[in-house]
Amino acid sequence: MITRVKIADIATQRGSGVLITVGLGSCIGTVFYDSKSITAGMAHVLLPDSTQFNSKKQNAMKFADTALPLMLDNMLKKGALKKNIVAKIAGGSKLFEFNTPDGKTEISVGEKNIQAVKKTLKHMGISLVAEDVGGTFGRTMKLFVDTGKVEISSLEGYKKLF
Amino acid sequence: MDKNSLKPEQIDILKEIGNIGMGNATTSLSKMLEEKIKMDVPEVSLISLSEVPELVGGPEKPVAVVFSKALGEVSFFIIFLMPEHSALNIIKALTDGETNEFCYMGRSVIREVGNIVGAAYLSALSFLTNYTFKQTPPILAIDMAGAILGTIFAEADLADDTLLLIKTILNTELTDFEGYLFIVPNWEKFKSIVEILGLELEE
Repeated sequence: MITRVKIADIATQRGSGVLITVGLGSCIGTVFYDSKSITAGMAHVLLPDSTQFNSKKQNAMKFADTALPLMLDNMLKKGALKKNIVAKIAGGSKLFEFNTPDGKTEISVGEKNIQAVKKTLKHMGISLVAEDVGGTFGRTMKLFVDTGKVEISSLEGYKKLF
Repeated sequence: MDKNSLKPEQIDILKEIGNIGMGNATTSLSKMLEEKIKMDVPEVSLISLSEVPELVGGPEKPVAVVFSKALGEVSFFIIFLMPEHSALNIIKALTDGETNEFCYMGRSVIREVGNIVGAAYLSALSFLTNYTFKQTPPILAIDMAGAILGTIFAEADLADDTLLLIKTILNTELTDFEGYLFIVPNWEKFKSIVEILGLELEE
């Protein structure tokens, strides 16, 4: 079964199949994997921090600090054990260059997202075993549930497997 | 904000702004291209942000996007998106066949096309509302639609999951060109524009 993960979305799956998220720009694709129970999860987060927004109806899957704990919960419900779970991340690129009025380059949303995801992982006590982040191009992230392998690709033919 | 918060008459007003703005833009573009450009009636919709890439052919589709911010009493994003082959065709047409790739020259042509479309839209909006807008220099990205749109939504710090989209498709026959204009306002603030125009219509 191929499951597509959209922007601000989470999917979890056990046993076999593929989880895929297409077109990660500044967004981060985070994969959780428990090789013992063969349980996988993928999240596509848009923004670093939910606490910056006061609006009542928030989609927890949109922010790094809320999406990753939610994905962990979903995986535990499917039978994964937290101590077995490792993380892999991709994305956080910088497609646009913005300049502040004083001519300095702003920290890109991509960079903020990378930092937020790493901070959240650390806070949750989940180890980050592989990453493919930064750069100036969009990525597609594919996770093969049976092996836990992640494949990254871009329009220009960039490929990475980890 | 929910899907029912737009009244039919508000949608009509937004469509009308889209019509006038894009009318301006197509006039400028057809002068440059020396051919007629067909413009569809603008569609106004509230849409979940994860659905936006689907509107332009899916998140993996290669596209060129020119993007700028309109700053003023009401700020919003102006996004002009072209499928990659459309962008290459317009580069070829506007450079008299001298180049058809995303080289320095090609990129600058595309940026200019996006700039003209955005500025034409803004000047119509300015005329109708008496608001003044300052447009930031257009930024160009060529990549997967999903990657670019996701990055723009992140830059916009969208607190909501739903966007107000004004979408217009342009197409030409000779040049085989298709472009999408998206206006992504902060809906709360954009209401005041709709109100101004609404009041004027009632007079």
